[in-house]
Amino acid sequence: MGDSAPNELARLRRERRLMLLQLLPVVLVLTVLFGGALVLGVMQSLGFAPWFGVNTFPDFSYFGVLWSQASFWQSLWLTLYYAVAATILSLILGILLALALVRTFPSKTLYKYLYKLPLMIPYTVGIALAVIMLGNGGMLSRLMAFAGLIDDPAQFPQILKTHMGWGIIAVYVWKQTPFVALTIYAVLLGVGRETEEAAAILGANKRQIFFLVTLPQILPGIISSTLIIFAFNIGAFEAPFILGGGFPDTLPVVAWRYFNDADYTLQLQGMATVVSIALIAGGILYSYLAIYRRYERRIGRQ
Amino acid sequence: MTAVHLKGVRKDYGNFTAISHIDLDIASGELVALLGPSGCGKTTTLRMIAGLEIPTSGQICFDGKDVSEVPVQNRNVGMVFQRYALFPHMSVEKNILFGLKVRGTDKAEAEDRLEQILDVVQLQQFRHRFPAQLSGGQMQRVAIARTLITNPSVLMMDEPLANLDTKLRGEMRRFIRNLQQRLGITTIFVTHDQIEAMELADRVAVIFNGNLAQFDEPDTLYKHPKSVEVADFMGATNVFAAQINDKTATLDFGALTFDAPSQNGTRSVMLRSEAIDLHLDEPTDVQNVFRGTIATRDFFGANITYGVTCGHETVQVTEQSRRVIDVGQDVWLTIPPERIWVIQKND
Repeated sequence: MGDSAPNELARLRRERRLMLLQLLPVVLVLTVLFGGALVLGVMQSLGFAPWFGVNTFPDFSYFGVLWSQASFWQSLWLTLYYAVAATILSLILGILLALALVRTFPSKTLYKYLYKLPLMIPYTVGIALAVIMLGNGGMLSRLMAFAGLIDDPAQFPQILKTHMGWGIIAVYVWKQTPFVALTIYAVLLGVGRETEEAAAILGANKRQIFFLVTLPQILPGIISSTLIIFAFNIGAFEAPFILGGGFPDTLPVVAWRYFNDADYTLQLQGMATVVSIALIAGGILYSYLAIYRRYERRIGRQ
Repeated sequence: MTAVHLKGVRKDYGNFTAISHIDLDIASGELVALLGPSGCGKTTTLRMIAGLEIPTSGQICFDGKDVSEVPVQNRNVGMVFQRYALFPHMSVEKNILFGLKVRGTDKAEAEDRLEQILDVVQLQQFRHRFPAQLSGGQMQRVAIARTLITNPSVLMMDEPLANLDTKLRGEMRRFIRNLQQRLGITTIFVTHDQIEAMELADRVAVIFNGNLAQFDEPDTLYKHPKSVEVADFMGATNVFAAQINDKTATLDFGALTFDAPSQNGTRSVMLRSEAIDLHLDEPTDVQNVFRGTIATRDFFGANITYGVTCGHETVQVTEQSRRVIDVGQDVWLTIPPERIWVIQKND
């Protein structure tokens, strides 16, 4: 049995080589397309763009110019406001929907298909729907005028194209509520009804069961789904571009305007905007996860 | 302590009838098993007593008071689930304190009761652990402690020994029995295992197809089943058709005299395999002798079961493995008249 050990080693080495080979496509895509773009983007925002004849690397003036504008901070505020409001609304509605879906009720199968519909429809279609439904000449305004609630469709309250962003938030919530519900529903199915029943027998009322038993168990699902939708909302472009209130725009729209400017050197300014969005989003998501980890440690989970 | 009465309880789910009609009187402080094959409605019965399901018709009474409509939160019962249903995000302590916390019990009193109950279930050293860090037996003890700390009037358990290995089963059985006797709490548990039911319970309710088939002490249920179905479920191997005529049963392989009361006519006779004696020589001076030939032999360590061909029937005989008889040997079987049971109900 003297040569069994080298054989074992050879086998392990073969397995590792095979594993690396299997990982290669993903690693390549990630490093070249994502990592490379990230490095290039950061460098460009710091003044490295020899193809435009600009190379002042490292140069923080693009960030300096951007951050000293009052409009940048207004844009940041709007971006965060739309993203946070839509995330919170989707989360609440999604959780309520998921909780309803684990109960049994008539024609549940139909609802289980219906609620997923927005997931399969693109954002742009959602935006178009919002324009058709919520605009001042839209369906809702006409219906209300028809019903005599307002004298003229034009009197319909302005929902779209304001800085309150009701239209943007509505589109996000419409699309993301099913996503949250889908995630939480899967977690709820895994958790099962037994701990809720045990809590009820021990004397807990509905509110106590939800906050003490159900919510802590679905928290991992809540955390992952909010991370995903918030990251999307903070970087989304089409909805604030079409349904937003104009200047000051959200940061992704600001970046787009820089990229689209006739003066192509402004592209560096645009890249500084993009990197700013990435930094802010990264910082917020990191703090969010850190707080969650602290909570997990506090309740004793490792 | 609470007496539990089920009066004509019925439960339908749409077109499906889970329980058609059950009357059950459980005395205060009694330990009762609901026994039956899976899907017979025993768990539904337990859930109705707990308040997790509402009966379609009939009444559930605690100490004579109808509680059928009392919501589960206010029923003050305890339930230990088959997979324990511990709160995975809470430590052992927090799990046990949950019932007192939601009732708003005074903190000092809660701490007091926690210490007491941790001693009872012997979990002091595990109090800061999480359910995922416990063994099956420990999780079950946490589930029991979490329930008992609220002083429930009725304790319910769903398959309490099913998820434990053989050694732990014995330990938990003694633990549950001792605890129940010490606290004198009315306890109802569900099982599909007749051995488990007989080991633990004062009385066993056998449920088939949503109906109560028999409700008796384990001893009676084992020796004197009311129907062939119950006899079969309680592990009877020798049930034969017989003509009954004045304390004599005429079977395919001979006539047996018996003591038990019975009506005349065609009935079923149950001979418990361990009540039959095997003789290598023809015995004299005993009643109920019949001949046979050993056809099969199964060795179980302490016991041996022989299949003995008598006429057209095979009679199973179990005896202690003090001797081993070869297959093919001609033998005489005897059974005392008091050990013969005539089943009155044929189904």
